[in-house]
Amino acid sequence: MSRPLIPYQPLSRTGRVLWCMALALFSALLMLFWSPAHADDSEALKPESPYFAVNSHEPGTDRLPLKSTTVDVKIAGVIADVTVTQHYRNEGQRPIEARYVFPGSTQAAVYAMKVTLGDRVLTARIKEKEAARIEYQAAKREGKTSALLEQRRPNVFEMNVANILPGDDVAVELRYTELLRPTDAQYGFVFPTVVGPRYNSPAAAAGNGGAIGGAYLKQGVASNASFALRVSLDTPLVVKEIASPSHELVIDGLGSTHVAVSLKPTEKPANNRDFILNYRLAGDRIESGLVLYRGEGEGDENFFLAMVEPPKAVASRQINPRDYIFVVDISGSMHGYPLDTAKVLLRNLIGSLRPSDTFNVMLFSGSSRMLAPASVPATRANIDQAIRTIHEMGGGGSTEIVPALKRVAALPKAEEVSRSVIFVTDGYVSVEAEVFRLIRQNLNQFNVFSFGIGTSVNRHLIEGMARAGQGEAFIVTKPEQAAAQAERLRRIIEAPVLTQVKASFEGLDTYDVEPLQLPDVLGGRPVVVMGKWRGAWAGRFVIEGRAADGPYRQVLTAQQDGKGPSALRQLWARQRIAALSDQEALEGGNTQKAQITELGLTYSLLTQYTSFIAVDQRVRNPDPSQTQKVDQPSPLPEGVSDQAIGAEVPSTPEPGAIAALLVVLGVVVAGVWPSRRRRKE
Amino acid sequence: MATAIALHPLARWQTRFESVSPLAWLGLHAAALWPHWRWAGARLADGSDDPLGLAALAALLVWVVRREPLLRGAPRQGWVYAAAALTALATLALFHLPPLLGAVLAVLSLATALRSVMPSGQPWLPVAGLAVLALPVVSSLQFYAGYPLRVVTAEISTWLLQLAGLAAERSGTTMWVQGRQVIVDAPCSGVQMVWMAYFCACVVAAFSGVRDRAMLARLPAVGALVLVGNVVRNSVLVALEAQQSQVSDAVHQGVGLVVLVAVCAGVVGVMRGGRDAQA
Repeated sequence: MSRPLIPYQPLSRTGRVLWCMALALFSALLMLFWSPAHADDSEALKPESPYFAVNSHEPGTDRLPLKSTTVDVKIAGVIADVTVTQHYRNEGQRPIEARYVFPGSTQAAVYAMKVTLGDRVLTARIKEKEAARIEYQAAKREGKTSALLEQRRPNVFEMNVANILPGDDVAVELRYTELLRPTDAQYGFVFPTVVGPRYNSPAAAAGNGGAIGGAYLKQGVASNASFALRVSLDTPLVVKEIASPSHELVIDGLGSTHVAVSLKPTEKPANNRDFILNYRLAGDRIESGLVLYRGEGEGDENFFLAMVEPPKAVASRQINPRDYIFVVDISGSMHGYPLDTAKVLLRNLIGSLRPSDTFNVMLFSGSSRMLAPASVPATRANIDQAIRTIHEMGGGGSTEIVPALKRVAALPKAEEVSRSVIFVTDGYVSVEAEVFRLIRQNLNQFNVFSFGIGTSVNRHLIEGMARAGQGEAFIVTKPEQAAAQAERLRRIIEAPVLTQVKASFEGLDTYDVEPLQLPDVLGGRPVVVMGKWRGAWAGRFVIEGRAADGPYRQVLTAQQDGKGPSALRQLWARQRIAALSDQEALEGGNTQKAQITELGLTYSLLTQYTSFIAVDQRVRNPDPSQTQKVDQPSPLPEGVSDQAIGAEVPSTPEPGAIAALLVVLGVVVAGVWPSRRRRKE
Repeated sequence: MATAIALHPLARWQTRFESVSPLAWLGLHAAALWPHWRWAGARLADGSDDPLGLAALAALLVWVVRREPLLRGAPRQGWVYAAAALTALATLALFHLPPLLGAVLAVLSLATALRSVMPSGQPWLPVAGLAVLALPVVSSLQFYAGYPLRVVTAEISTWLLQLAGLAAERSGTTMWVQGRQVIVDAPCSGVQMVWMAYFCACVVAAFSGVRDRAMLARLPAVGALVLVGNVVRNSVLVALEAQQSQVSDAVHQGVGLVVLVAVCAGVVGVMRGGRDAQA
């Protein structure tokens, strides 16, 4: 006997609960597969002005004014060694702790700090960041004068000095070294003098440990501190031109191999903008060379630095054959305006290719397909065909970027061809680490340029791809920006001067070479290789590649054996730390912390995980609990207004939310309650 | 046959389901929309929106719990269809719409489900209004409506101050009064007052039993009261700022609260008028 059927009524209570449960399950499944990169305005940043720090509780009483800054720059070849000395004086009545934020060069390897208090000299030691902080806090509590130097960002440093007694003169000496990389045969040295106020989002603040920047002087108020800067320039070739777009200079020795530069005394303050020094050597050449440093002690490491000038950019007819692979995301998320913008972009890019160039287009979503089995010449017919294909495509499907990237990497390529891969995507994927790894592994096959299209693209992926691929990222949020961005990319990649670049060493045992893979040289930039070597120097350094007019090979032989500057140690370590930091930024978290810390401690370098600490063992402040904190104000950068730090213009704000809510509730109760009482009665 | 159905295990479960309170069904419905609540919670917790929505949520919960004994056992089909459609739309919105719009669809779906079990003659609009106000809408309102409100407020304030004989001029959302610059920035926009006034209107209408049509007819008056209130508040404060070197926070608070009381009293009067009209 068959059982009776229960009539199914979806709108009965049973049906309704099943409907709810099904929807809950559906929602849960959707959330599981929902890409975390999906635009979500919960991550939108709260609109907020940069903050304004108060100088002190008692202005005019607790002050630690900066009295002077002296910058001494010694440039030998392509290495700058910079010593910055700053003098402060506690002009207040009480012991104070001072916090001062100051900038550095983006490439600076800070390797020493010394604090002088009267006749007492405290030489700082490098320590792991947390350990240094603990030691500093302990010394501060015990009433010992101490100084802590930390890196807030790669080019922003913060120093705290505790227990500075009234009348104390404090001199802080910082030393850093930096490699000067020329562009178009022009060398540049930059000394930033002030940290501009930076907007620090809540998310970024959580990531970098708090706000950046300290107190600021008002707009137009100059710092009372004096500022002096001297540059001593020693080069193997005659210095032909030297100029500063930022400051007026006094130059001595132009036209020789030794030039001295100092600031011309003027009424205008000199310490509210970057100091920039540009110079050219005779013959408009980049100074190629191989510099060696041999460790002084038994078992010490030896370092080398090689800089090779690439061939000059040549007329376009002589340029290496160029190949462009356009990889276009046509997944569902690109449907509509992003894809329309991508089409405009591609029309502009492909339309500007020369007949000698070759190109191919890959369209990918869940799967990928190529315009042609192999790259085709950029003839008018092929370009028209490509544009027609792109025009016909529509968005839909998933975003399988990794298989697409693997397919691009597997495309055959002639050795002399310079290949650029241009990704066009919104980046709504969650496989960033794998994409970055793949690009790095294939760096000698192609350069990667990435276009992020959309109003809320996954910038982590777009920018990370370009960085891993030694290219550049472009973000296009509006269709009208597409043509300009396409033109910008065209200018960057139109003149590859050296491809298939390889560095090798003949007769020498080298190791820990940076960078691991050399990218194509796109014009005006030298090839720079750093590393370590063992044994006696008896070999040669060879750079090979393909230039427009055939194979390129340059051989460098060291002029001296191990007499180079010891700064090579720090420069190599700084380069390695930068690479590890990039890797960490790509992977997220603190994955490279151990290695970076070890490098910082070994080579005595300030990093995001190591700090300099100097402690005077004598207790100088018997009552440290009374110590006041003072933010030493910096001048605002020239041209930056008070608006950047929150203008003190009156406004008419609404009352506080809680007070207002209580008032409204009071009014509501007073309005509703009598009628309810009357109704009950 | 009836016995056979009654003894069938599925039928026993059906009986159990049917004995569950309508509030439990609403709870399950709410659970189905959890991604939206998660977003709203995160938005409240990360400090990007004022937690004013909690007050609307509390008022809504009080209203629902007080009426629980009156809720119908059998929901009205039309409203259930509407609730289901809105739920589906809210779920799809996760992929295609900004989270706030998705959350608005979600609360409307829930409010519609509530409507399906509400007794006849009960107002629904104030309930739906409270549900929307419970979401983190203030910062979005500030983003989209803040600037126009600031311009309008600054412009009308300028007229008022000129009528009072002061030299006043508007430039964007900045006012120059007697040679002194006063800006009508985001905290001055009156967006918070908008929220407070509509919250006040919804609570009064919900607890006084004002009918939907009557409430709808009086909502424009609420908007006008807010605009007038904000212009008055701004004008008084701008005039004070222009006269004195610095106006203390207490004065700002005091003037703001007094005007808010007046606006809310006006809103109560308008809404109670609606109640009296329908009564």
